[in-house]
Amino acid sequence: MPSDPGPFRVFAGRAFDPAAIPGKPEALDGVRVLEVATRIFGPATADYLGLFGAEVIKVEMPPRGDLMRYVAPEGFFWKEVSPAFLSLNRNKLHVGLDLHPAEGKELFLRLAERSDVVVENLRAGTMDAWGVGYLQLRERNPGIVYAANSGFGQWGPYSAGRASYDATAQAVSGFSAVTGFPDQPPMKAGFWVGDYTAALMSATAILAALAARRKTGEGQMIDLSQAEAMIRTLDWTWPYAGLTGKDRARHGNVDPSYPPSGIYRCRDGFVAVSVRDEDELIPLAHAVGATDPEEIRIATPKLVGAFCATRRVDEVVRVAEDAGFSAAPVRGGKEHYQDPHLRARGTVCSVDDPLYGCVDEYGPAPKLSESPGRVKWSAKPVGWHNERVFGDLLGMTAGEMEALALKKVIGKWADLPGARPPKGSAP
Amino acid sequence: MSGFAGWVREATEPSAAAGKPEALEGVRVLEFCPGHFGGMVAASILAEFGAETIKVEPPAGDPLRLVAPEEIQVAGTGLPFLSEARNRRFVTLDADHSDGRGLFRRLALSADVIITTESPERMEAMECGYPSLREERPGIVYLSLSTYGAFGPDAARPVRDSDILCQALSGAPYIVGEPEGKDGPPLPHQAPTRLGNWHGAFVQGLWGAYGVLAALHCRAETGIGQAVDLSGAESLMMFADYNITWMHTGGKARERVGNFDPAVFPYTYIRCRDGYTFIAAYNDEAFDSLMHIIGRPELSRDPRFSTPKNRVALGNERELLEIIEKWSGDLTADEILVAVEEYTSKRGGPAAAVVTGRVNRPLETLAEENWRERGCFLRPRVPVYGELLLAAPPWKMSGTPARWKSGCRPPGSDNRDVYLGILGMSEEEYRRLAEAGAF
Repeated sequence: MPSDPGPFRVFAGRAFDPAAIPGKPEALDGVRVLEVATRIFGPATADYLGLFGAEVIKVEMPPRGDLMRYVAPEGFFWKEVSPAFLSLNRNKLHVGLDLHPAEGKELFLRLAERSDVVVENLRAGTMDAWGVGYLQLRERNPGIVYAANSGFGQWGPYSAGRASYDATAQAVSGFSAVTGFPDQPPMKAGFWVGDYTAALMSATAILAALAARRKTGEGQMIDLSQAEAMIRTLDWTWPYAGLTGKDRARHGNVDPSYPPSGIYRCRDGFVAVSVRDEDELIPLAHAVGATDPEEIRIATPKLVGAFCATRRVDEVVRVAEDAGFSAAPVRGGKEHYQDPHLRARGTVCSVDDPLYGCVDEYGPAPKLSESPGRVKWSAKPVGWHNERVFGDLLGMTAGEMEALALKKVIGKWADLPGARPPKGSAP
Repeated sequence: MSGFAGWVREATEPSAAAGKPEALEGVRVLEFCPGHFGGMVAASILAEFGAETIKVEPPAGDPLRLVAPEEIQVAGTGLPFLSEARNRRFVTLDADHSDGRGLFRRLALSADVIITTESPERMEAMECGYPSLREERPGIVYLSLSTYGAFGPDAARPVRDSDILCQALSGAPYIVGEPEGKDGPPLPHQAPTRLGNWHGAFVQGLWGAYGVLAALHCRAETGIGQAVDLSGAESLMMFADYNITWMHTGGKARERVGNFDPAVFPYTYIRCRDGYTFIAAYNDEAFDSLMHIIGRPELSRDPRFSTPKNRVALGNERELLEIIEKWSGDLTADEILVAVEEYTSKRGGPAAAVVTGRVNRPLETLAEENWRERGCFLRPRVPVYGELLLAAPPWKMSGTPARWKSGCRPPGSDNRDVYLGILGMSEEEYRRLAEAGAF
């Protein structure tokens, strides 16, 4: 840090202090979201709203619930829950409700009357066929904002019947074709980027629709295809195709827009080297051996690679900081988990969950000074909040809930890892 | 197209968007992000939803205009800038000139939202830091974008923010790419691999727009504005799956496994007659469906593949890939799609979760009827820059649809409109400032 930080750094250290977050209001306080979704695209959309204070009611089909519950890295469950499910379902109220029987549909419509937003990612048209789609919901609540997340859209030649996952969107959009090395096959990103990117776009459109509703009182339908979301992210791919009639190539680890910026191997790991213009290119050229400023083209990927190969990551970063170009280490989950910077920013945070105890998570990326996002509690077993939602919100009696449970209209967890509470904790 | 799909089409048809109201009408955004793609994205997203957006460039034009892969420029502007320059007004001012700084402050105080990628120190030197603007305009929402964020032990690291830095720190490349082989020195491609597009910068912009909308929601309820601090590294980090929860609960860090996946399999690209296609069938019922489709139903009971846990053992993933590619190698991606749809249309629920989709080259994506019909691509002809192929806003909305309204314009094209029309400058003052070199 500079010895005399300016007003913003002083302000920032105080205004964004993670320790002060619990005492501050939440940006989306008062917004209620119904989630009818499985796996990632829909659940992540609702998670992003919940992080900023929306009350999210996650509607799951009892007793197995969201199939994401059974997606577990190396088959590993912790306290009967998958770490992959935890990270997508923070701050939610979990109810088990079957939307097939008439009484289930009616319960859902009653919830929708009291809600602001519905997020779903079932195959196109499924909710409508069940009688709980946008057209039926808006009869009961004209203000409802309804986000229909899907692979290929709610209408169009591919809309009927086609399922989609993250990597469908990576594949069909052209995203994978531009990722990887030119002499190798297209590379699938090893994380579910086609889901998260589209989920964030869905959550963004929901906030825009809520802003519109503030003026008119009217809700609306949002149709978002995850492939179309990925298409939108491909920067110069499209004007390039339009002007040249050619496919943009895969360029491996060098950014073709800012050569020789890229990822390079060091003795003990990998480093990103970045130069945006001559102000950075010249110092880089000097660092890798050029003596004459006219020779800045000496900073080829090959020479930068040779320079990094004999050095440690921290040495390259230090040389960059001293010389005046930019560099940063390639980091993974272990480094994130241990990084004091990310901890100080609440980007890696601990939540003290009443059911699971201490759970560490990624916290929200945007830091808001007055109404910050936060992780308040972790994901829960199927139907964990039935009493709170059906009882407190809809005013049902214990007897009514029991009758519906007997008919399997509402329900709780299956006796399976992924769905059930930790051993010894069930009420 | 009948029933619900027909209704949605009618209600969200992008070609009808122009006559409808806009979600963010009345919100003014000032973008001061020279040389920065993520800042442009944040502003573009808000502009697609109807915010009135003003981009401030230095008098010679934004340095990002000069970034030109394969040295392709159109009227002096490269394709990355052209792809994202939409729905905004283009003004110039010289931030190193005292009159230029004065102009910037007047613009800032007329805005609801400021988006900047300049350092807090520079913004303060321009007398436009958040604490100073807030005093005069408490409702302002002030988004600052950087690599590490504005606070925390690494906040003052001297880097100039870029996509590659944000990607590297985010944890994304760490889990993208081929692992190193067992024998011999690693090959160049056996390395953490960058996402080929500027996904780090794009997602930084997207989280920025999201943070601004959350702050505007809060302002509408309470009247208070706020600062939004966003690190591009942390933006993409939020997409890095269960990195932290797995470290915390299992003490395990994810490593790169190429096109395999440590949590779900099959979930990979497979070789087919005309390239590659994606295939997924990872829950037990779907896996059984896929084994029927490839004519190997007995493999559902094979101990190597009979449970999700066994299927994600890396050795078993490799063996299963080989078996599936024996089937797929003689088929085209389209034939695989037909085979999958034919089988899954007869099955319901989890058994139908067999998912495929061709690994398209960009030109193949462009040729797909679905995107043409849904208006995903635009070919507007704009003054100076001519006809450009662009991705449309991806949202179809029935009430206040996002839309593309205008494209790139040369630096300073809107100076007169903005300085006279918005700041209320007189012709005389405009001329004086121009002569003084303020813009």
